[in-house]
Amino acid sequence: MKAFGKYISKYLLSFFVFVLALLLVNILAFAFTFGGIVFREYGAASPANTLEAVAADLSASGISKEREQELNRNHIWAMLLDASGRCIWEASLPEEVPTQYTIQDVAVFSKGYLRDYPVFVRSMKNGLLVLGYPKDSFMKLTGNYFPIRAVRLFPLFLTGILAIDILLLFLVYYFSKRRISKNTEPIMASIKTLSAGKPVNLSIRGELSEIADSVNQASRVLSRQNQARANWIGGVSHDIRTPLSMIMGYAGRIASDAAASGNIQQEAEIIRAQSAKIKDLVQDLNLVSQLEYEMQLLHKEPVRLSKLLRSYAADLLNAGIPEKYSLKTEISKGAETAVIECDARLISRAISNLVQNSIHHNPQGCTIALRLDCSDSTVFLTVSDSGMGLSAEKLRELTEKPHYMESTDERLDLRHGLGLLLVRQIVETHGGTMKMESAPQSGCKTILVFQRSLS
Amino acid sequence: MDNSFLHSKKLLLVDDEPELLKMVTVILTDEGFRNLVTAANMKEGIAAVQSEKPDLAILDVMLPDGDGFSLMEQMRTWTDIPVIFLTARDEAADKLAGLGLGADDYIAKPFLPQEFLLRVYAVLRRCYKEDAPVLKLDSCTVDFSRAEVNKGGEILPLTAMEHKLLETLAKNEGRIVTVDTLCEALWGGNPFGYENSLNAHVRRVREKIEADPSKPVSLLTVKGLGYKLLARK
Repeated sequence: MKAFGKYISKYLLSFFVFVLALLLVNILAFAFTFGGIVFREYGAASPANTLEAVAADLSASGISKEREQELNRNHIWAMLLDASGRCIWEASLPEEVPTQYTIQDVAVFSKGYLRDYPVFVRSMKNGLLVLGYPKDSFMKLTGNYFPIRAVRLFPLFLTGILAIDILLLFLVYYFSKRRISKNTEPIMASIKTLSAGKPVNLSIRGELSEIADSVNQASRVLSRQNQARANWIGGVSHDIRTPLSMIMGYAGRIASDAAASGNIQQEAEIIRAQSAKIKDLVQDLNLVSQLEYEMQLLHKEPVRLSKLLRSYAADLLNAGIPEKYSLKTEISKGAETAVIECDARLISRAISNLVQNSIHHNPQGCTIALRLDCSDSTVFLTVSDSGMGLSAEKLRELTEKPHYMESTDERLDLRHGLGLLLVRQIVETHGGTMKMESAPQSGCKTILVFQRSLS
Repeated sequence: MDNSFLHSKKLLLVDDEPELLKMVTVILTDEGFRNLVTAANMKEGIAAVQSEKPDLAILDVMLPDGDGFSLMEQMRTWTDIPVIFLTARDEAADKLAGLGLGADDYIAKPFLPQEFLLRVYAVLRRCYKEDAPVLKLDSCTVDFSRAEVNKGGEILPLTAMEHKLLETLAKNEGRIVTVDTLCEALWGGNPFGYENSLNAHVRRVREKIEADPSKPVSLLTVKGLGYKLLARK
């Protein structure tokens, strides 16, 4: 996000630097184009220089030959008027130009043109020297006066307008940047959300709406793929159920068929037990994928955990567990009334998975304890066993390494059962936390912590 | 508990998988059920409900020409027989709970024959009382229709609460019934804090049914969970 802001600043700033550079180049180009003409025109033949040269050269006998040639070369004519307005000397004076002037004529032409010739004058001891340049060679400003106030104001105006220009440019920069940021921020945020694999729905109007559409499209594709994956897993687990029913059914029948030999009964029992494992796996797989892709609709309601725990324990005992396992249920006095907002079926499933883990990993038998405690705001549901426990290494692997369902690397040898992943997902779905404790030979203990709902 | 009185009940099985149908039939026949009717789809199912008048319908949720839920809804317009759903869907439990259609139970595939039979018996027992409902315990018999205990010739009457308590335990004979379930049966709703009253009722029932109430052999306490009633072997 920050990076994007910097990116915009950098580009807007370089844009302004470019504008300044362009201005400078324009000024240089202007100077280059007009400088030549102006300096050339203002060179040796410029009116000021020529006036001075002619004035210096002018004597009673006129001007020198060279000066006259120079004037001719430049098509300049000259005349000298005395105090009464009469022409007392002239050089190359055109026919159309009169030789007698009134004081009004002088006042008018000295500011501008004489018969369309731009003329320049110089006051001399013995009269007024007038130089006439070719028609259309100079443009004269006839209104060359400014109020002194305006002239005095000019530097102030110039600095003021410059300051305002810079301020305006800065404001344009600032608001452009803010607007771009404002419009791009949701896009950046959605892309971040998307990259976490979560769906987004971006709504932007205007020029960037196309980007928003693309982001939404990407999100839809992602959701569709997740949905497809969940459906696929759901479909497979659905289709596998009926055939598995038959395998379990018939294997169960053979296992308890008195007519079958002991060996056959044992083998059928193995088939039955293994099918039961597939059944658990299929159920876990489907639920894990639904929770993973948030397809599972939770049916949360206030549930008294003590009741749920007793009901689970009774069901387990009623269904029958082998003699070598024993199940204890302890509910502290205060926890008896503890209620949490949850999906009872999922919580039962989590407890069941933990208990089944204890059974599977302790074939020698063990005592399994279900405990319920609570504080003012939290409920602690503990499933522990007195079994073999886990090494520190194995425990770390179970709690820290991602499950193969969640990892994309090829290390499928790290796989362990889905059971624990499902427990973790269920706990997280309920905003709870899960902690495992274990040491070799001292059993395994899993504590699920939930927020108690206020009753 | 002796369930053989239920074996004469007529069971309707509706499933589009002929092999599953066959297996369930075998499981039920082996158990002693004699009256079994099968149907492969919704149409046949409805026809069978009308013509055969079964006592229990076991329906697959997914049928080729509809689903078990709508089959039950149609059935419900003229009969109140209990219904068990067989389902390969995970969400069935939610759906049943959510729709409140009034199914009596659902069994998720895949299932074990024993589990299946237990559920079928449980539903049948709930819905059809034994003609002569006499429960034989270790040291007495309980006649539920007369609310009496016969302990070695001595007739002890049961109070309404004691009757309900024993009946609830008897319906789940051999199985643990949690204190929550018992309190619900006795006081209804979602009661809490009735444990002491429940203990008192249990004590009085034991005085009537046990040879030595301080060493019960029929009505057992399952520590931390509830109680269990054992019939005479």
